[in-house]
Amino acid sequence: MATSHFALHQPQSLSQALDLLEMHRASVRLLAGGTDLVPKLKVGALKVANLVSLQGVPGLGAVAFDEGQGLVIGGTARLAQVAALPEVKRLYPGLAHACSVMATTQIRNMGTVAGNLANAAPSADTAAPLLAYDARVTATNKKGSRDIPLAQFFAGPGLSVLEPGEIITAITVPPPPPKSGSAYQRLSARSQVDICAVGVAASLSLDGQGRLAHCRLACASVAPTPLRCLEAEEMLSGQAPGDDLLDRAAQAAAAAAKPIDDMRASAAYRRQMVEVLSRRVLATCLAQAASLAQAQGGAA
Amino acid sequence: MKTNNPQLIGQSIPRIDGPHKVTGRAIYTDDLKLPGMLYGKLLRSPYAHARIKRIDVSKARALPGVKDVIIGADTPQIKYGNWRLVPESQDELPLAVDKVRFIGDEVAAVAAIDPETAERACELIEVEYEELPAVFSVEDACAEGAPLVHDISKGNVSLVRKISYGDLEGMFQKADYVREDTFRVHAVQHAYLEPCASLAEPDEGGRITLWTSTQTPYLVQCLLASTLGIPENHVRVMKVMVGGGFGGKMELRPWEFCAAFMARRTGKPVKFTLTRVDELAFGRRRHGMTLYSKVGLSKDGKLLAKDFQVMLDGGAYNAMGPTATFLCGTFGNMAYRLPAYRYFGRHVYTNKPPASAMRGFGAPQAYFAMESQLNQAALDLGIDPIDLRIINAMEEGDVIPEVATVSSCGFKQCLEKVRAASGWDEKRKNKKPGHGLGISAFSFISGGVFNWFNTKYNFSSVEVRVYDDGTAHLFSMACDIGQGTDTVLRQILAADLGIGIDKVRLTSMDTSNTPKADLGSWGSRVTLMNGNAILDACRKIKDMLIPVMFTQFDLNQIQDIAFEDDHLFVRSNPKKRLSFAECVYKALRGRRGEPLSAHGFYTPRNRGLVSPAFSFGAQVAEVSVDEQTGLVKVDNIYTAHDCGVTINKRAVEGQLEGAIQMGLGYALHEQFAMQGGRTLNTSFLDYKMPTAQDMPPSVSLEVETYEPEGPFGAKEAGEGLAIPTAASVGHAVYEATGYRCQDLPITPEKILRALGKLK
Repeated sequence: MATSHFALHQPQSLSQALDLLEMHRASVRLLAGGTDLVPKLKVGALKVANLVSLQGVPGLGAVAFDEGQGLVIGGTARLAQVAALPEVKRLYPGLAHACSVMATTQIRNMGTVAGNLANAAPSADTAAPLLAYDARVTATNKKGSRDIPLAQFFAGPGLSVLEPGEIITAITVPPPPPKSGSAYQRLSARSQVDICAVGVAASLSLDGQGRLAHCRLACASVAPTPLRCLEAEEMLSGQAPGDDLLDRAAQAAAAAAKPIDDMRASAAYRRQMVEVLSRRVLATCLAQAASLAQAQGGAA
Repeated sequence: MKTNNPQLIGQSIPRIDGPHKVTGRAIYTDDLKLPGMLYGKLLRSPYAHARIKRIDVSKARALPGVKDVIIGADTPQIKYGNWRLVPESQDELPLAVDKVRFIGDEVAAVAAIDPETAERACELIEVEYEELPAVFSVEDACAEGAPLVHDISKGNVSLVRKISYGDLEGMFQKADYVREDTFRVHAVQHAYLEPCASLAEPDEGGRITLWTSTQTPYLVQCLLASTLGIPENHVRVMKVMVGGGFGGKMELRPWEFCAAFMARRTGKPVKFTLTRVDELAFGRRRHGMTLYSKVGLSKDGKLLAKDFQVMLDGGAYNAMGPTATFLCGTFGNMAYRLPAYRYFGRHVYTNKPPASAMRGFGAPQAYFAMESQLNQAALDLGIDPIDLRIINAMEEGDVIPEVATVSSCGFKQCLEKVRAASGWDEKRKNKKPGHGLGISAFSFISGGVFNWFNTKYNFSSVEVRVYDDGTAHLFSMACDIGQGTDTVLRQILAADLGIGIDKVRLTSMDTSNTPKADLGSWGSRVTLMNGNAILDACRKIKDMLIPVMFTQFDLNQIQDIAFEDDHLFVRSNPKKRLSFAECVYKALRGRRGEPLSAHGFYTPRNRGLVSPAFSFGAQVAEVSVDEQTGLVKVDNIYTAHDCGVTINKRAVEGQLEGAIQMGLGYALHEQFAMQGGRTLNTSFLDYKMPTAQDMPPSVSLEVETYEPEGPFGAKEAGEGLAIPTAASVGHAVYEATGYRCQDLPITPEKILRALGKLK
């Protein structure tokens, strides 16, 4: 165990945390759930002089939904906490699924959504559904806050556009449009307790004529970053849904993937699974949206 | 079947160590700390094959906090290995001298005041290597002109085993149906939850006490003494709780030697604890094998001949490979009547981490080939696969040529039971797409008769002491490594003396205070062999107590004395009784204070050359395959098995659950990602051992037979159960998809590719 020595700072406010980040900028990392960071420190894969814990910073741990703003996930909100919120289960089933099947029970109880994004692993399970929901990341530094669309957040494996001195204080997910559906599916070698080898999320809604309105398709573990499949989205949008259209969109998503061969799966398998899972999540989304349309239509 | 066993036999006695383990109070070797203890670290080879040209430890030695640094040249350089009977097979040194043979081969060791300093010191050791060409597959290793891993083993074959009986060619000519297949099976790891740890304490006179996570304390004692060049009795090996072994902890290991050697040099206790990375990257594995098998059958399904040729990928050292080579041939013909059989097994060195014993010991590989091949033969011959097995199944009294006479066998009943319980006939008639049932069977040994360790002692030995407070103390070198023998051995003693299991105290962890010897926990030997030793000791204790009853009640010579419910009584007149405690008291008085103690022994004799008893079983796997993703979901596993008389039902169920978990990992998930000699997946994130959440429902069906050679009629229930799953799942996947796996593991990509569904 090559644990290096480091100083642990436990600020009691956001401004203290930002000060500490600034003060130790030469060698500092943020500690939220610690589920990615601590194992790296333990095996010596990461050496850092200062850790700034966000555990004691008030106001960052909440997850709340309101119809105007949508879902707001605080910077230290836990994966399990998000999975358990009734509104998340009801309105963001793809995110709820990601937060309830990824990693292990223990990790979901400690790990945070913000950490999952900030770690910027291509396999980040929350990334694909959050991309499909058009989530925005609020990054705060000493000068103020900025909102980054999640689609512009990832810069490469382990890299994001966060600047030194910035903290993710919130992730905001807009409220789903009416008559919409969303889903996330993932594959891994083990059925449970495993890292994602391929993941695909989608969201879509139906307009008054039953045509596809708002379509999003996003993948994990098949490119250097979590990926939006723009071509597939464009292909779907404005069209009347049908098997043939969903097939073509799924093929387009597979074409957009840039998978690699590694010990978790071959590139060819990953690419093909993007197609299979895309087709499946799109069908699930459509079924949800259609059933809502029927219910809402009936109510009107 | 004999049924007059004591009531305690067959009960689900909870595990004695259970509460301590689940509440975290159990003590494992790494929990031990001694005053002044130093922490050891190993420097390992970064090359798969290289000559050591120069080692400079001066910088490491100079680092403050470092108390000792050793390299091969500092040590006595006495080779070791478990096959003491064949000294030339002993090919290992604790620290490499001249050459390293795999990535991870131990080159130097450091003892320092804390683990960080020890690790830093390892980084400061300078080693100059001259890289040598290396071999990573049995095919490459056996090729003309291949580099030699060990100079004395020409062609890199360290051991050859041949078996031959019957008229092979004649039988193949008689056969209506002949098929040849080549199977490839991969290496997997024991993945015991407790990584290896050892703590050596120097004692007066250069003696050593070693606490170590082992499944063979006696073997470690003998080999540590010989490699240190000190008398056997100067080494005392103790174990505390052991978090699993599965065959991976049954040899002397370099860190045991280094801890003891540096403890003697420094005069301080030295502890080594391995990490999971050490275990996955450099630890022992199950043998990968290439298995060629040719079988001949008559058109009505009778097995006539089998030609079986196996190459074992042994890695860089023999380890337990010779035994696996030997046993693989034995398992090639154990379950079925076979008039003609030939086996040619070769143990091949490669520049990879050494393979060794792992639960099943050559059987999971041999049976995967045999059972997969039988399923194909059944299909071609138009015979139901279960019927085909029944046609050929061993029966009680059958002789396995050159091996043994089978003295109990419930194999056919097992096959019938899984057929009924799994709904085999109906489900096969009404086949659903993407869904399949598969069958596989097994037979296994209850301990080995072979004595390659060349012990001069009995294979199992115990001492039993009884006291006038009604209690007994059992001393045994048998090794509970999580499989539950501490509970089962107490149960056997309590049952035979007719006392409560809570009256039995057990000392089982100390080579200095338990009778010599016990060969350890492997080969599914402990219940039968140590159980028999206990019964031998109990017989002697009873001989001390029965005279008290005869004197007390002035009994006729023909009377029999029963031992039940903490009492002794006249069987034909239970009113004539004394409590066990009172009887011991009277016996003690009669002996003028000489304690009541007896040694018991067991060594199998006149039981053939392989094992005193054989278990049998059959398993049906039911799977669903997603034909788009290739993912296999195991819906149910039905297992019927004959382990003789069950001593502890819950313990046997636990063995079966664990066996299914291991079998599914072997069949579907686990494999090493190797790049040449380098292991890439060195954590459980990427070494895909199934978790509790991956476990399918399972049904356990017991077929009880009475094994005359076993204690209370018992046979093994440890390893046999781990054998059938790869072949049963493989067959089920074939039934579901048409993909027949001859190359484990069964992965989604292999399924899709075989079906032409992966572009």
